[in-house]
Amino acid sequence: MSVLSCSGLSRRFGDVQAVDDVSFSIAEGETYGLLGPNGAGKTTTISMITGVLEPDAGEVVVAGQPMSTSAIAAKRLVGYVPQELALYPDLTGRENLRFFASLYGAARARVDHVLDVVGLADRAGDLAREYSGGMKRRLNVAIGLLHEPRLLVLDEPTAGVDPQSRNQIMDNVRALAAEGMAILYTTHYMEEAERLCDRVGVIDSGRLIAEGTRRELVEQLGERDRISLLLDGDLAHAATMLGGIRDVKSVAVHGHGLELVVDDARECLPVVLSAVTSNGVVVRSVEVNEPNLETVFLHLTGKALRE
Amino acid sequence: MKILSIAWVNLRRVTRDRTGVFFLVALPLMLVFIIGASFGGATTPLLGVVGEAGALRTEPSVRVKDFPDEAALRAAVEHGEVSAGLVRTSADTPRMLVRADRTGQQLRMLVTTTLTREANRSAAGDFVASHTGLDRATALSVVDSVRVEPVEVRTSTTGEALFPQDFSGFDLGAANQLVLFTFLNALTTSAALVESRALGVTRRMLATPTPARVVVAGEALGRVAIALLQGLIVLIGSALLFGVRWGDPLGAAALLGAFALVSGGAGLLVGSLCRTQQQSTGAGILLGLSLAAFGGCMVPIEFFSPALHTVAFTTPHGWAADGFAALTRRGGDLLTVMPHLGVLLGFAVVLFVLGAWRLRRAVTA
Ligand SMILES: Nc1ncnc2c1ncn2[C@@H]1O[C@H](COP(=O)(O)OP(=O)(O)OP(=O)(O)O)[C@@H](O)[C@H]1O
Ligand SMILES: [Mg+2]
Repeated sequence: MSVLSCSGLSRRFGDVQAVDDVSFSIAEGETYGLLGPNGAGKTTTISMITGVLEPDAGEVVVAGQPMSTSAIAAKRLVGYVPQELALYPDLTGRENLRFFASLYGAARARVDHVLDVVGLADRAGDLAREYSGGMKRRLNVAIGLLHEPRLLVLDEPTAGVDPQSRNQIMDNVRALAAEGMAILYTTHYMEEAERLCDRVGVIDSGRLIAEGTRRELVEQLGERDRISLLLDGDLAHAATMLGGIRDVKSVAVHGHGLELVVDDARECLPVVLSAVTSNGVVVRSVEVNEPNLETVFLHLTGKALRE
Repeated sequence: MKILSIAWVNLRRVTRDRTGVFFLVALPLMLVFIIGASFGGATTPLLGVVGEAGALRTEPSVRVKDFPDEAALRAAVEHGEVSAGLVRTSADTPRMLVRADRTGQQLRMLVTTTLTREANRSAAGDFVASHTGLDRATALSVVDSVRVEPVEVRTSTTGEALFPQDFSGFDLGAANQLVLFTFLNALTTSAALVESRALGVTRRMLATPTPARVVVAGEALGRVAIALLQGLIVLIGSALLFGVRWGDPLGAAALLGAFALVSGGAGLLVGSLCRTQQQSTGAGILLGLSLAAFGGCMVPIEFFSPALHTVAFTTPHGWAADGFAALTRRGGDLLTVMPHLGVLLGFAVVLFVLGAWRLRRAVTA
C-alpha cells in the first residue's frame, strides 16, 4: 500500500497555473525525488501534500487519511522540512525542537533523540542564530523527524550547505528510508537524486512530465548505457563472443576498441570483462557511460536543473 | 496546551532580545524616575551652602550640603546636584542661587524665614543682655525659654486640588508610563508576528497537527502575555523602587489586565496587517506615541482643553490613565473604575476580532 498518493493535484495563483494535474504515489520505504527547474511547482505541490495549502482540485491521501488544511489526523503522519529555514533564530536548537515537539504532540525524549540523529547534541544549547548554515539545515531537518512520521517531505533540504552537513543529511534520509519511512525529496543537485531516490518525477511548469526509475527515464529517451573497451588481440572474435551475451544489445568495432550498448552497465560489466579476458584478449581500458538524470532532465525540460 | 506553548515562545523571544529588555524594563522605570524627580519627587530638597548654615542645619524640611566656594556651588546648582544654593559669609548680605523652578522658590522662602528667625533671636538676646546685665549666652537661653504658641490659621478648602497633598511626582508619572509602554511595546514587539511569517515558521506550524485557530489564539495570547509582563514590570518595579502607590490593588489589577488585553489585541492587529518588520515597528511607534499623547500620558489630562479632553476619551489610553488616576488620586476602588473596565474590554474585543481575522487570513492565504 502506498503511504502517499496524490491524484489530479492542481493549484493556480492568479494567472500562474503553479501545479497542473499532478498525480503520483510513494510506497513505504521508498524515496521519491521531485525534480524540476525554479518555479516548476515543487514547493506548491509539497504545500498541498503537507496540508499547508488547499488544492483547487485533486486529492492527497496519506496512509489512508485524506489530507487538507484542517486534517489533523493526516498531519500527524507527515514530517515537513520546508525549503526555507523555518526556525526561530533567537531560540536555542533545543528550544526550537521542544516547541515543535509540543505542536506535534511528540514526547520530550524525542528532542534528544533527533538532536543525536542530526549530530547537533553538543550544540543544542546554543542559539540557532549562531549555528553555521549546515547546522541550521540539520536543525531544520530534525524538526521534521520529531514525531516519527510515516511520510517525510523534504523541500531542498541541502540547499547551500557544506559537503559534511550534506552527507549527514543524506545519510539520515537513507537510514530513515531503510526503516520504512516514505520520503518525498526535492533537490537541485542531480547527484543527490541519483544517490538517494528509488524513483523520480520530473515536473516542469506545474506538470509532471515524466516519472520512473533512472533507468526507465533514460530508456524512455532512447538513451542506453554504453561500455567502451580498448583491447589488444582478436577484436573480431571478441565482438562475436560479446554479441552472444544476453544483456548486450549491440557491439561495434572502432579501431582498437569495441563499443557495447547494454541494458545495465554496472550489472553486466563483470560478465563482459570475464568473457573478453578468457579469450586471451588484453583489456587496456574500460569506460562506462550511463546516461544520467541531468541528461534526462535537459532532454525533457530544455533546462539545466540548476540555473 | 499548544496555545500555551505558542504564547510561551513569544514571551521567551521578547526576553531573549537585549534591546527588547531595555525597552521593556530599563526605559520605562527610568522615565518613571526622571519624571517623578522633575515633578518634585518625594525627597527633602538639598540646599548647598557656602559659609554659615546656622539654623538651617536643624530645619527638618531641608538638608544642607557644604561647599568650599561660590563657583563650586554655582556649578552644583546648575547641574541640579542641589535644589538651590546659599552664600552666607560674615561680611556680605546672604545671597541665594536658585533655578527657575518651584523648589527654588520654596527654598528661598524657607531660607528667608529661617534666617529672619535666627536674626530675631540674636537681636532679642542682645536686648535682654543689655537690660539685665546677664551674659549673652544666658540671655539667649532666656529668649529661647519664651514659648510662642504658633498662630493657628484655619483653612477651608474650596475647589478641587489637581493633585492631592501627599501625591508625589512619582505617582503621577508611573501610571502614565505604564499605559504608554504597555501599549507601545505590545505594538513594536508585534514585529515578531511578521517575522514568524517571513521565516516560514507560521507555515510550518500549520503543517503540524495544530488547527489554524489554535495557532492564531496562541499568537494572540503571546501578545497579551507580553503586554501584561510590561505592565507588571512598571507596576511592581515603580512600587518597589520609588514607593509609588497604585491605590486599590483589585482595581489596579483589573485595569492592568484590561489594558493588557487592549494592547495585545492592537499588537495582534498591527502584526497581522504589516508585511515587513519595519512597517510594524514604525506603525507601532507612531500609534503608540500619538495615542499616548492624545490619551494624556505625556501631559496630564487635567491640563487638556475641553476639546482635547473629549479626544482623550476616545483612546483606550485616556480611559486607562483616568482609571488609574481614579484609584491613585481620587481614592477610588474596583467599583469606581467599572466604566473604565467596560470601555477597555470593548476596545479589546474589537481589536481581537479584527486581529484574529486578519492573522488567520495572513497565515492561511
Ligand atoms: N503564494 C504565491 N502567490 C503567487 N504565486 C505563487 C505563490 N507561490 C508560488 N507561486 C508561483 O507558482 C509557481 C511555482 O512556484 P513553486 O514555489 O512551487 O516553485 P518551485 O518548483 O518550488 O521553485 P524553486 O525551485 O525555485 O523552489 C511560480 O511561478 C511561483 O511564482
Ligand atoms: Mg521551491
